[in-house]
Amino acid sequence: MAEIRIENATKRFGDFVAVDKANLVIADKEFVVLLGPSGCGKTTLLRAVAGLGMADEGRITIGGRDVTYLPPRERKIAMVFQSYAIFPHMKVRDNIAFGLKMASVDPREIDKRVNNAAGLMHIEKLLDRYPSNMSGGQRQRVAVARAIAMQSEVLLMDEPLSNLDALLRLEMRAELKQLLAGIGATTIYVTHDQIEALSMGDRIAVMKDGLIQQVDHPTVVYDLPSNLFVGSFIGNPPMNFMRGQVQQNGALKVKIGDFELEPAERMKPLLKKYDGQQVILGIRAENMETLNHPVADGVKVQVRVVEPLGSQNLLTVKIGEDIIKVSTHPTFNVAPNNDVWLRFPADKIRWIDRDSEQVLYP
Amino acid sequence: MQKKKRNLAPYWLILPSLLYLALFFAYPMARGLALSVWDDEAVLPLRTEADLASAEVGRMHQGTQVEILGQQGNLLADTLGDETNLLTELWFNVSGQDVDGAEVSGWVPETRIRVREEADDGTPLQGTVRRRLGSNADPLTTVFAEPNENSAEMGKLEASAEVQITAVATLEVWYQVRGEEAGQTIEGWAPSRFIQVFGDEVNGRIDRGTAGEFTWGFFERMFNDRFFGPAVRTTLLLMVLIIPTQFVLAIIMALVIQARLKFNSIFLYIFAIPLGVSDLAVGILFFSIFTQNGLFNSVLQGLGLIDAARPYLTADTRGWIIAAIWLAEVWRATSIVMVIVVSGLQAISDEVLEAAELFGAGLWQRLRYIILPLLKPSLQVALILRTILALQVFAVVIALSGGDVVTVLANETYRQYFEFRNANVASAYALFILVISMVSAVFYLRAVRTQQEIAS
Repeated sequence: MAEIRIENATKRFGDFVAVDKANLVIADKEFVVLLGPSGCGKTTLLRAVAGLGMADEGRITIGGRDVTYLPPRERKIAMVFQSYAIFPHMKVRDNIAFGLKMASVDPREIDKRVNNAAGLMHIEKLLDRYPSNMSGGQRQRVAVARAIAMQSEVLLMDEPLSNLDALLRLEMRAELKQLLAGIGATTIYVTHDQIEALSMGDRIAVMKDGLIQQVDHPTVVYDLPSNLFVGSFIGNPPMNFMRGQVQQNGALKVKIGDFELEPAERMKPLLKKYDGQQVILGIRAENMETLNHPVADGVKVQVRVVEPLGSQNLLTVKIGEDIIKVSTHPTFNVAPNNDVWLRFPADKIRWIDRDSEQVLYP
Repeated sequence: MQKKKRNLAPYWLILPSLLYLALFFAYPMARGLALSVWDDEAVLPLRTEADLASAEVGRMHQGTQVEILGQQGNLLADTLGDETNLLTELWFNVSGQDVDGAEVSGWVPETRIRVREEADDGTPLQGTVRRRLGSNADPLTTVFAEPNENSAEMGKLEASAEVQITAVATLEVWYQVRGEEAGQTIEGWAPSRFIQVFGDEVNGRIDRGTAGEFTWGFFERMFNDRFFGPAVRTTLLLMVLIIPTQFVLAIIMALVIQARLKFNSIFLYIFAIPLGVSDLAVGILFFSIFTQNGLFNSVLQGLGLIDAARPYLTADTRGWIIAAIWLAEVWRATSIVMVIVVSGLQAISDEVLEAAELFGAGLWQRLRYIILPLLKPSLQVALILRTILALQVFAVVIALSGGDVVTVLANETYRQYFEFRNANVASAYALFILVISMVSAVFYLRAVRTQQEIAS
């Protein structure tokens, strides 16, 4: 059992608060991705868990043991570093065996585990080579093998794929996911790549400015972002945001430019409070229905840019004051400056408070 | 098709590099090498006649015993004026009346004329013929056509005859010698300045030669020098004492600096101070500490450890002198090692050290398995540098021991050159230091090879 509990963890560098009262519970064998733009404190939080930069306040426990101020080597964790941190003067074999040797594991057992880890990472042939003349991908494999050979219950990964080229990253992503599922270690995985986070994590913790914004399953984080930032950070293209004016003349409507939208029934009580005020509507590009003929409940917009992406055609359109992206089927035929009609499914619209930027939940 | 353009820039740098090599490296090296193995005065060529232009009969080595068969004076070349050991004869060109009353003029040796009148600058103007002593000697003095006894006779002068001296010629004496060289008897002429004649006027030896020859002689003299053994032993002893101490201290100092403590830069500055002090000054400083009235005795007395001041830097306390040199050198030169080690430490990535820590290595294990192996290239550089400098240790030793009680190789080089005026043996010493420096450098390069090098 290796449940990781982070309670009110705060880390400061001088006056700068890198992590602000972070709370996160990672269940045993769970794979949690810390996601955020650079400088958001995700690596700092990971290092606090690893013991490489102790938290200033708060508590971190691993498997019920308070490790907040324990040195890294006493935390029984394994880690993959961003720049791999392979020992350049050791053969791959000794690199993988390093942690086991330090722990005085029986040499035969070390051998077995090294071979096993190398087998999992497909680097058996590199075992007697030095890292100096290896490719980035090979070093990355060595770094992962070194971590999994430890067979720790906790595995920390600090942007392990960020130094690989795009194609290799794609390949390693799937391979790592499969591998980590097989190992069953409690894993914290730091990345700034939202696709990586969505595709790999059991849960995603989105961070910004030292604060954890949302922790949830990838689909939820994608579909129901807790605030404007999460919506804009996750997804490619990011969620569209439009300003709308709430008006109650009998029925509750939201005006976007000249178009009047009727919100979903369950949102109406919430939106009543905003009568006469502006709210922000968030909607994903693929959740809008695009039609090339007028419809009563559709808004007429002019297409500015058409980007055929193979699997979809991405349109850039102006609605009211806002520019949004709309995803259409690749067969949808439209040219720039044409008019199209957009239909907004009411249950796909997220309503966001303009001041707090928080998504409104009924 | 356009031709690939040649990049000429590197070639412009070749000329200054070659000049640099020739002036600052090759020439002094060649000169030093030549001095130590090339004996400029080893061989003397002997001639068929008393004339440098005549054919060479054979060559004799310096020190060969010879028999003097005859001698002859030759007009002295102007260029020889400064030569040492010149044995010269003076001849006067005289004119006067011969035994028959006829006017005669010609050359006579200076020994036959008593100068009666000289010009203001000492030039002889007029003289009388000396009386020749001895029972069976010819009472008359012969006048020759040339300043040479083999030239034609012009006439004879009577003793006490008055003569005008019109010219003076300086002659260099040549000896005709016979000696054995490599089992062969050689007979020939050589200028007197190269030959030492013994008291019996018949035997002599070749004093020095004009031609050079390769020789191990200077090295033999160095090896047989009574200071050689002590110098080598002390130099090696100092090396063995100083270098490990310096490395342990330097690594600790570098780790302290690398630990990024609060007053990090102050540490660095303090550690680096000795770099700015000259080695002689350090020697004198430690001399002042270890003299009888120095700091060391005062402190010991102040602590009540000794009753009376003790002398440390005397001929009877060699151990103390060595210890003082050791301390002075460690104080003086540890920081250079530290600087190299610090730069090496900075090249080790933080992540690698963090990884080691995370994978269970404590401080000692990180040092043993990560830091030291990764420092190998830096340590190698520092080790080579320090070993070479340790072999050259000089000023500190001189300051603390005066160079007699404790001597080192560099001191012997100095002694040979300035005290014994023997540039050749001094050069041999210098070359000896160079050779062991090179051997140790090669040894370190091979012994402290990095793993990657072995693999590739």
